[in-house]
Order: sequence, then C-alpha cells, then structure tokens
Amino acid sequence: MNKSRRRRHGVSVSGMLAALALVATAGVANAACPPNDDDGTVINKGDLLLAFKPLLKADSVSKAQRIPMARHFALDVQLCDRGGVSGAQLTKADASMPAHKHGMNYRPTIKPLGDGRFRVDGMMFHMAGRWQLAFEVQAGKEITRLTHDVQAD
Amino acid sequence: MTFRPTEHHSGRRILATLLFLLAPAAAAGTDGFSAGELERIASHGPWPTEWMRDPGNRVSANAAAIHLGHRLFFEPRLSANGRVACATCHDPARGFQDGRATARGLADGTRNTPGLFDVRHQRWFGWDGGHDNLWSASLRPILDQREMGGSATRSAALLRGSAALACHYRQAFGKAPKATDPDLLVNVAKAIASWQETLASPPTAFDRFRDALERKDDAAAATYPAAARRGLKIFLGRGQCSTCHAGPLFTNGEFGDIGVPFFIKPAGVDPGRQGGIKRLLASPYNLLGAHNDDATKGNATGTRYLRPEHRNFGEFKVPTLRNLTLTAPYMHNGSLATLRDVVRHYSELDEDRLHTDGERILKPLNLSEAESADLVAFLESLSPEAAPPTPVEPPGVAACR
Ligand code: HEC
Ligand code: HEC
Repeated sequence: MNKSRRRRHGVSVSGMLAALALVATAGVANAACPPNDDDGTVINKGDLLLAFKPLLKADSVSKAQRIPMARHFALDVQLCDRGGVSGAQLTKADASMPAHKHGMNYRPTIKPLGDGRFRVDGMMFHMAGRWQLAFEVQAGKEITRLTHDVQAD
Repeated sequence: MTFRPTEHHSGRRILATLLFLLAPAAAAGTDGFSAGELERIASHGPWPTEWMRDPGNRVSANAAAIHLGHRLFFEPRLSANGRVACATCHDPARGFQDGRATARGLADGTRNTPGLFDVRHQRWFGWDGGHDNLWSASLRPILDQREMGGSATRSAALLRGSAALACHYRQAFGKAPKATDPDLLVNVAKAIASWQETLASPPTAFDRFRDALERKDDAAAATYPAAARRGLKIFLGRGQCSTCHAGPLFTNGEFGDIGVPFFIKPAGVDPGRQGGIKRLLASPYNLLGAHNDDATKGNATGTRYLRPEHRNFGEFKVPTLRNLTLTAPYMHNGSLATLRDVVRHYSELDEDRLHTDGERILKPLNLSEAESADLVAFLESLSPEAAPPTPVEPPGVAACR
C-alpha cells in the first residue's frame, strides 16, 4: 500500500533521470517535499500533502498566486507524504461553486510529470465568488479526496 | 478580476487584516465606496483593455487585409441575391446592429443581431458560442441560407473577378486569389475578421470615473452623475450583476440562463449553448481544425477542454454591457425593447422560468422606481456619449484600382 519512495536524500538513477527529464521538458523548478512557499498552497489529509500553484499564461499579470477571473489557467500540483515524494497518483482535479451548484464549463486534464508532480490544464473560474477546488489522489486502491476553497473576485 | 487562494501564511494574513481595518478610513476620500467596491470598480477597466493580434488568423492586424475586409464587409455580391451585405444587419450607424428584434436577411431569423464594437475581445461568438474564433463567426453568415445564402464558389468568383479586390487580396495574402474556392472563402472571412478587429469603442463616462478613483482625483470623480453612482452600487452589490457581467468588457465571456424565454414562434425552442457546443465541435472551422493558423494550437484551450452539461440547454452568452444605448433591443431574441425593460426583467424575475439548473445567483430584486432609474443611468454611462467614431483604416497600403 505504502509506495512512497524517499528520493530527497538517497537519489536513485531513475529518480535522477526523471528529475533531468522534468527540468528539460517542463522547465519548472523541481518541488521539494515537504513543500515550501514556492510550491504554492499546501493542503493535507492525514499523511498526504498536496501543494498546488496556479500557472499563468505569460500575457496575464502574475502577481504571486493571483489568477485573472474568467481566464484559462493551469495548476502545478506536487504530492508528498511525510516521508518525501509520494508514489500516489493525482486522478482528478476539478472545481465547483457550491453556492451556485455548478462546476466549471471546462474539463481539465492531468499530466504526470514524474516525482509526484502533475500538471492540470484547462481550468477556468468563470464567475466571481467562492470556488471549491477538489482533488482525488489514488494510492493503491485507496482514494483520498482533498478540497480547498478559493475566492474568485 | 482575480482569485486568491485562501491565505495560509500568517504574515500575509496580518497584512490583509490591516488593509481591511484601514478600509473604512480610505473609503472617506473615495466617494462612499467600500474598499471591496473600489476593487471591483477598478476591475472593470482600464479601457481600452489590452488586446493581442489573433494568432489563429494570419492576416490579423495586417493593414492590407483590413482594407480588403472593410470592402468585403459592405459587399452585397457575397450574397445569393446580390443585395445582402454584412452591413445590412451590422449597420455602422447603430453600433453595427440593425435595431430589429430578430435579424432579417434573405429570410427571417430567430436571434437578435449583436453589435460588433469590441468583438475582438470575445472568446465565444454568437449567442450560443457556436464559434470559437472571429473569422469562422464571419464565415457563418455568408453561407447561412436565411442571412446571405452565399457559397465558396460565389465568394471566390467575386475575388477573382474584381481587379480591385484581387489586388487587395494579393497585398494581404502575398499571392493572387488562386487557391481552391473553400480556401478562398476562409481567407475572405479572415480578412473581414481583421477589419472587425479595428472596431473599438471609446472610453465612457464610467471609464473616466473609474480612472479618477484609481488616481484618487476627487474633482474628476465628482463629474460622474449621482444617479449613475447609485446605480453602480446596485450593480456591484444587491444586483450581483458583476458576477457575470465582469471585467473591462462587462462579461465573463461565458453563458448563463437568466429566464429569457427560449421558445421560438410559431413552434420550437432555441437550445442556446447546448446547440452551440454541438455546432462548434462539428465545424471544420473551429480552432482544432486545419484552418487555425496557430501551429501550436495554443489558442484552442477553450474548445479542447469544453465540458458539455445539461444546464447548457437554454443558456446564452453573457453579453457585453458596453455600447448598449446603440444596440437596442436586447437579449438573444430581442424581446426587451429598452434598458428600462431589462432592469424590470431582473427586478421582477420570474423564478419559475429559470429551469432547475438555472443560476442560483438570480433572485427578483424588487427595485423601486428610483432604484431602477439609477441602474439604467449606470448602464447608460457604459456607452459613448457622442456618435461612435468612424473606423479608420491604417495607412501605408498602396492604392488598388
Ligand atoms: C441577416 C442579418 C445578418 C447578416 C447579413 C450578417 N449577420 Fe452577423 N450576426 C447576425 C445575427 C443574428 C448574429 C447572432 C447569431 C447567433 O447567435 O448565432 C450575428 C453574429 C455575428 C457575429 C458574432 C458576434 C458576437 O458578439 O458573438 C459576428 C462576428 C458577425 N455576426 C459578423 C458578421 C459578418 C462578418 C457578416 C458578413 C459576412 C455578417 N455578420 C452578416 C446577423 C447578421
Ligand atoms: C447569471 C449571470 C448574470 C447575472 C447575475 C446578470 N446577468 Fe445580465 N445577462 C446575462 C445573460 C446570460 C444575458 C443574455 C440572456 C439572453 O439573451 O437570453 C444577459 C443580458 C443582459 C442585458 C442585455 C444586453 C444585450 O445586449 O442584449 C443587460 C442590459 C443585462 N444583462 C444587465 C444586467 C444587470 C443590470 C444585472 C444585475 C441586475 C445583470 N445583468 C445580472 C447574465 C447575467
């Protein structure tokens, strides 16, 4: 069940390759586990930590953490558990407005980048108000659901 | 319009609290608007707002294409009977609209003709968002049997047969109009799109007020009429209008159901966004298709990630609220004649008409006569006071005879 690998100190060859591939393709700094400020907002359930950070197109003003409403954005997600990078998979990322009983007009996709890191594309908060981000993480047969509220105004 | 993840870092939270505590003090010098209201007001500008050329249209912002597109927009020979041009319905003297409830070309249509000012800023085109780009929305009416009833063959023959049009075409696309008819039709639409991109509405009384508040220039802000100011408060507050009519364009660019009937006389329904999504995904001219000039398809995000939902039935595009004084009547079916009628619609909203999936934001506002007049005054302040500017063509294009 517990598939977590400890890569932070003892680095395996495949881990190094994955890290290299990540730097080469995504061009984003590799996340640390446990996450720090650079990894964005951190939420947790039990031992599982999930850090998410909005990624903005170059054309939009990117004050730290601020996403223009009604524009597409991507999320950078890092999964960790107490021991380090988590072997769990991000299987679902979505958002809804509980007060208005509707979700997004778009269905995001998830791309694994290796080392517990994922990129979620196709997000958009099309209305002002409170949105609830919802993530599903699968480790073995166990599915963990994490939610987090954000205010779009 | 921004979203902030809920703060977790105590430093930032303290700062936020401080700002919040300071807010009432700041409000004194800013016209009785709260800090939250001021932030929202700021989010409806600046105007004009930033625009970048359309990567999906290789002649976007191309001066020669703008010249060609201008001529084609007023060209009735694109239509089956040689009498209907884009400008027949999109009349420059009326904010590029026709003043009719529903459009009439070769035959009667079922939807209201939208104005075309600021159309370059939209994400979806048509009341149902059946198009994801401006040039395919410009191609649709040429082929639509009720509008112009034209064809690729007719459009291509017109280009090839007119020395002046062929010359402008060569200037815009770098070669003579020798491509296949369907490809020429797409290029006709791309040229007309590039001209429509120049249709920008000027700053309004609201924009000057918004900018004055930003600068903390009380004297300039004071010239904004008191009625419009009270209407703005309703718009941001009780009315919750800016939830959907957001940002500098006063639209979030998406779709909603506000209880405007979707029945079509004598029989039938307009499925709105649900039909629009079907139309979009079936179209060879959408951004996932071969005619998108952006090789990366990075401009196709909206189309690629679309999620059809039941609630899309009877949803229509949230229209911009700029230039309203030029574009009556209102709504997708032109069913409301005046802004007063629109405000009455929201004030007396029939909740039974909102189908079960309808937005929960909308409740009857029960506005008084005076409040309704204020909201109308605010809406009017989003339109230019003077006659809209005649579109200018960029210089530097050699004459064609
Ligand atoms: C018969 C009247 C008529 C003619 C002629 C006509 N249009 Fe339209 N136009 C409409 C109507 C009605 C709509 C809304 C269509 C819908 O919702 O599907 C529209 C929508 C549009 C839109 C989308 C605007 C928006 O805000 O979503 C554009 C762009 C447009 N027309 C451009 C053109 C061009 C370019 C031509 C000429 C090639 C043209 N139209 C000819 C009536 C007309
Ligand atoms: C839930 C989102 C939503 C909210 C909230 C909302 N609107 Fe709208 N508005 C729309 C949609 C969608 C339409 C088009 C409906 C149709 O044509 O069927 C529209 C149409 C309009 C129009 C007609 C514009 C035109 O060109 O035809 C005006 C004016 C308008 N709204 C003003 C307001 C005001 C004022 C408020 C606040 C009292 C408000 N809206 C609140 C979504 C919204």
